[in-house]
Amino acid sequence: MNMRKLVLVVAALTLVGLLGLGAEKIKAGFIYVGPIGDYGWTHAHDVARRIVDEKYDWLETVYIESVPEGEVETYIDQLVRQGCNVIFTTSFGFIDGTFAAAQRYPNVIFAHASGFKRAPNMATYMADFYQVYYLNGLMAGALTKTGKVGYVGAFPIPEVKRHISAFTIGVREVNPTAEVHVRWIYEWYNPAAAKEATEALIAEGCDVFAFTEDSPTVVQVAAERGLPSFGHYSPMYEFAPDYVVSGQLVHWEVIYDDFLVKIHEGIYTTRNLAHVDYWWLLAQGAVECAAVPAVVYCETACVSDTSCACCCGCCCEISPSMVVNPVYERALKDYTINHPAFGTISVYDLVFLRHNQFADPGITFDPFEGPVYDRKGNLVVPAGMWMSYDHLITMEWAAAGVAGPWPGEP
Amino acid sequence: MKRIGPFIVERRLAPPRHVVFGVSVLAVVVALLLAALVFWAYGVSPWRAYAEIGRGTLGTVDGLSDIVRRAIPLILCGVGLTLAFRAQFWNIGAEGQLLAGAVAASGVALFVPVPDGLRLPLMFLAGFGAGALWAVIPALLRVKLQVNEVISTLMMNYIMAYIVEWLVHGPWKGPTMRGFAYTDMFPTAARLPLIAGTRVHWPTLGVGVVAALVVGLILSRTRLGYEVRVVGQSPDAARYAGISFTVVLSLAMVISGGLAALAGVGEVAGIHWRLRSPSHISMGYGYTAIIVAWLARGSPIAAILTALLFGLIFAAGDLMKTTLGLPFQITGVFNGLILFSLISSDLLMYWRIRWRRRGEAWT
Amino acid sequence: MDLGWLVSTVSRALAFGVPLLWGTLGEIYAERSGVVNLGVEGMMILGAYAGFAVAQTLGHPGWGLLAAAAVGVVAAVWHAFLTVTLRANQYVSGLALTLFGLGLAGLLGRGWEGRPLRVPLGTITVPSLAEIPVLGPMLFVDQTILTYLGILLAVVLWVVLFRTRWGIAIRSVGESPATADSLGINVTVVRYLCVALGGLLAGVGGGYLSVAYRPSWTEGMTAGMGWIVIALTIFASWDPLQAIWGAFFFGALYHLSFRLQAYVSPELLKLMPYAFAILVLAVSGFGGARWRRRAPGSLGVPYVRGER
Repeated sequence: MNMRKLVLVVAALTLVGLLGLGAEKIKAGFIYVGPIGDYGWTHAHDVARRIVDEKYDWLETVYIESVPEGEVETYIDQLVRQGCNVIFTTSFGFIDGTFAAAQRYPNVIFAHASGFKRAPNMATYMADFYQVYYLNGLMAGALTKTGKVGYVGAFPIPEVKRHISAFTIGVREVNPTAEVHVRWIYEWYNPAAAKEATEALIAEGCDVFAFTEDSPTVVQVAAERGLPSFGHYSPMYEFAPDYVVSGQLVHWEVIYDDFLVKIHEGIYTTRNLAHVDYWWLLAQGAVECAAVPAVVYCETACVSDTSCACCCGCCCEISPSMVVNPVYERALKDYTINHPAFGTISVYDLVFLRHNQFADPGITFDPFEGPVYDRKGNLVVPAGMWMSYDHLITMEWAAAGVAGPWPGEP
Repeated sequence: MKRIGPFIVERRLAPPRHVVFGVSVLAVVVALLLAALVFWAYGVSPWRAYAEIGRGTLGTVDGLSDIVRRAIPLILCGVGLTLAFRAQFWNIGAEGQLLAGAVAASGVALFVPVPDGLRLPLMFLAGFGAGALWAVIPALLRVKLQVNEVISTLMMNYIMAYIVEWLVHGPWKGPTMRGFAYTDMFPTAARLPLIAGTRVHWPTLGVGVVAALVVGLILSRTRLGYEVRVVGQSPDAARYAGISFTVVLSLAMVISGGLAALAGVGEVAGIHWRLRSPSHISMGYGYTAIIVAWLARGSPIAAILTALLFGLIFAAGDLMKTTLGLPFQITGVFNGLILFSLISSDLLMYWRIRWRRRGEAWT
Repeated sequence: MDLGWLVSTVSRALAFGVPLLWGTLGEIYAERSGVVNLGVEGMMILGAYAGFAVAQTLGHPGWGLLAAAAVGVVAAVWHAFLTVTLRANQYVSGLALTLFGLGLAGLLGRGWEGRPLRVPLGTITVPSLAEIPVLGPMLFVDQTILTYLGILLAVVLWVVLFRTRWGIAIRSVGESPATADSLGINVTVVRYLCVALGGLLAGVGGGYLSVAYRPSWTEGMTAGMGWIVIALTIFASWDPLQAIWGAFFFGALYHLSFRLQAYVSPELLKLMPYAFAILVLAVSGFGGARWRRRAPGSLGVPYVRGER
C-alpha cells in the first residue's frame, strides 16, 4: 500500500501549508444530491469532508444534503452568503447551476464532480472505478460456476456502462465464455428494486454479483443464497463477511485534500482552474480495490481519534486493507489460466499483477487496451491503442459478453 | 347546542369569511408552536430558528423572490385543483399533469421549427393541451367506467414520471450531454425572462394570477361554474337538473390539468431550461398544491395566498437545512404538522362559542 | 415459459406481495367502515423504522414486528381522531399522515442507516410440503412466516366481515352510518377500531420490509408501496380474499418487470403495474354491474348524528 508514502507527502505539504505566510482560512461548502446516510455516493463524499475538516485547522466545512438539481444555485447563494470561499457540488446535474454561479461569483472557487464544464474559477474532479471493476471482473470470472455473472445497474449512463464493460472484460479474460447479465433499476438508490433485480438474476442462473446502487442490498440478497458478490462504494464486508469477495472503495478525501491544500498554498486561485480536471484512479489512491479498507492508527497525540488517517505523519497501519476476502483466496489461487501475456497464472496472482500495473504512476496497462470489440462485433478500440479520456467518459457501447438490455446502444 | 360552563357552543352552517381566515391563522400559529418543540428537541432555540427563518425569507430580496418562485407552480396547480375539488373530483394527479406540460414544452422548445417569437407562446399552448389531455382521461374513466379518480390520477402520476424518465434516457437524450440523461439546453428563445437579479420567471407568475381571476369568474359568473358547484354539492340534484356529468367533469379537468401543466412549462422554461429526471423538475409541487387548494377552501383567489404560504414553507425548509444545519427530513415533519393543525381546526369554524345569556336554558 | 420461470415468479410474488397484502387487508377494513386512509405509506414507513430500531435494540425480530404494529396503531388512531372525532377531510388527513410519517421516520432513522439487522426474521421451509415437486419450491421455501400468516389472516378477516355480526356492523357503518346508529351500533367505536386495525396491519407490512424482506433500515424504503395498497384495496373490491390475489399479482408484476428486461424496454415494464391498476378498474367498469367494484356507500363521509 502506498499509504505510507501518501502520509509523508501530505505531511510535508501540510508543513509547507502551515508556513504558508498568513494564508487565509478556507471555508468550504459541500452540496450533495442525496442524503448523507445513503451508504453510497453522498455518504462517501461526506466521510471525505469530515476527514479533511478534522485534519486542517485552517479549514472549516459545511454541507447541505438532498439538494434537488434545479435548486443548486439557490443553495450556492446561501453558502456564499455564509462566507464559503470554496464550493464543491457533487452531482452531474449541478453542472449548469454551478457554472452559472461561477460566473456570478468570480471570487469564489468552485469544483464540480463528474462534469466537463470548467472556468477560471471552476474545476472538475472525478474518482473513477473502471480499473477496479476490471479487477473485480477477473475474480468474478474465476468464481462463477454457471458462467453467468449478474450485474445490477443504476442508470444506463456512460459511467455505469463503462464500469460494466470493464468488469465484463475482466470476466472474459479469465473465463472467455462467461456472460455478464445486466438489469437496470433506474434509480441510484432503491433497495426494493435492487433486491428484486438480484432475485431476477438469481432466477436466471447468475451466481456472482456486482452492482451500482447506493445500498448493500445486492450483497445481502446474494449472501442469503450463499452467493458471492463485490461491495460497491462503501465497505460492505460486514454485511456478509463470508460472501463479499472484494469491492470498489472510493477515497474522495485524497482529491479534496490535494485540491484544498493547493488552494491554501495559493497554487490554485480563482484565475487558473480552467484546465484543472482531476480524473483520479488507482494510481492516485482515489479509489481502492478491497473488501475492507486499511485501518490506520496514530501513535502519538492526534487532533481526533475518530479519523486519524494521516493527521500528523505518525500513522501506522494496524491492519492493511483486505483486497481479497481470505474465504475466496483458495478458489482464486486454484483457478489457473493460460494467459497470452503471462503464461500459466492463477487468477489470484493475475489480480495483484494487474493491480500493481494500475498502481504504478506510469500505468502500463488499461482494461480497454485494444483490440476491443463491442458485443455487436464492431471494433471499438484498435489493436494496441488505449481509449482517450473523451471516449471513456462518453462510451455507450457494451463489451462483448454483456447480456441483457442496453438502452442507447449505438 | 352544548353548554360548557358559562359558554354556549352552537353549530353554524356557513362560517363567515373572517372566521375562516382567523381560524386558519390560528392553526398555522399552533403548528408553529408544535414545530418549535421539534426545534427545541434538536437543540436549536425556537426563537433563533424563527428569527433566522424570518430574516432569511421575508427579510431579504433573495428570500422574498425565492418564496415567489416556489409559489408560481403552486398557484397554477392550486388554482386548477380548486376547480376540480369544487366538483368533488379528487384530482391527485396535478404532479403528472405538471410533468405532461413540461414534456410538451420541451418537445416544442427542442424539436419544433417555429419562429423565435412564437416559440414560448406555443410552448404554453402545447403544455396546456398535453395537461388537459392527460387530465381528461381520469374524468372520462370516472364518468363512463366508474373508475375511482383518486386511483387513476395517482397511478397516472407514476406513469407520466416513467414517460419522462424514458424520454430523457432514450429518444430525447441530448447529444451534448455526454450520455447523461438530460435533454440538450433549450435555445434562448425558449427560455422565460426573469425578473432581474432573481429566478422569478414573471410571465408564468402573470399567467398564474390571471388564471386565478379567470377561474374565480368561471366559478361565480358562468353556467359552467354553476354546474360544477351543483355536481360537487349535490350529484342527485345535478342529475335531476339534467346536467351532463361528462361535459362538466371533462371541462373542469381540462382546465385543472391544463393549468397544472402550465406550471410544468414554467419550471422547464424558467428554471431548468431542459427536461430532466422528474423528481428534479417538480419538488412535489403537484402534491403540495392539493393542500394549497384545500386550504383555500375552493377559492382560486385565496389559492394565491395559500400558495405563497407554502412557497414560504419551502423556502423556510431550505433555510433550516443551510442556516440551522437541521436534517432535511424536518421539512416533511414541519409540513405534516401544519397540515394536521389546519385540518383539526376545520371543525372549529362550524361552531360558535358565546356567553350564556342569563336564564337561557339549553336543549 | 419453462417451469423454472413459473416457480421463481410465484415465489418472488409471494415474498414481495406480503407487505402489500397486510397493508391492503388493513385498508379494506378501514374503508369498509367508511374511512379512507391515504396515510398507508406513512404508517408503513413508521412501522418499518420502529420495527428495525426495536428489533436491533432488543435482538429479536418478533419485538420489532410488535413495535411496528404498535406504531401503526398510534398513527392510525391519530387519523381516526382527526377524521372521525374532529370530522376532518379524510383525504387531506391521510396525505398529511404520509408526509409526516416519511419525515419523522427519516429524521429518527438517521443514526440507523446502513447497518445490517443483527437477527433478521428468517425464512422457513415447510416440512414435507417443500418436497412436493414444483409446488414445493414455489410455495413452501424461502418465505417468512408472515406470508402464510397473511393468507390466513385474509381468510379470517373475510369470515369476520361477511359471516359474523361484527362484519355486519362494520359494513353497515360503512354503507349507512345513520341506519347503523339507529340500530344501536356505535359508529365512532367501529370506525376507530377498523382504522386502528388498518394501522396495525400496515405497520406490520412496513416492519416486514425492514425486519425480513431487506433486514436493514433505509430512508424511504417503502418506496410508494402505500399507494399501491390504496389501489389494491379498490382492485380487490374491498374483499379480503380478493386482496390475496391482488397483492400477489402485483408482486409478480414487480418481479417480472426485472425478469423481462431482456425482452421489453425497462421503462415500459416499470410503468406496467400502475397502468395495469387503471386498466383492470376500467375493464371491470365495462363488465356491467356484476363486475363493478362498488365502494362502501358512505366512504369518505364523516358521520354526524342527526344529519341526513
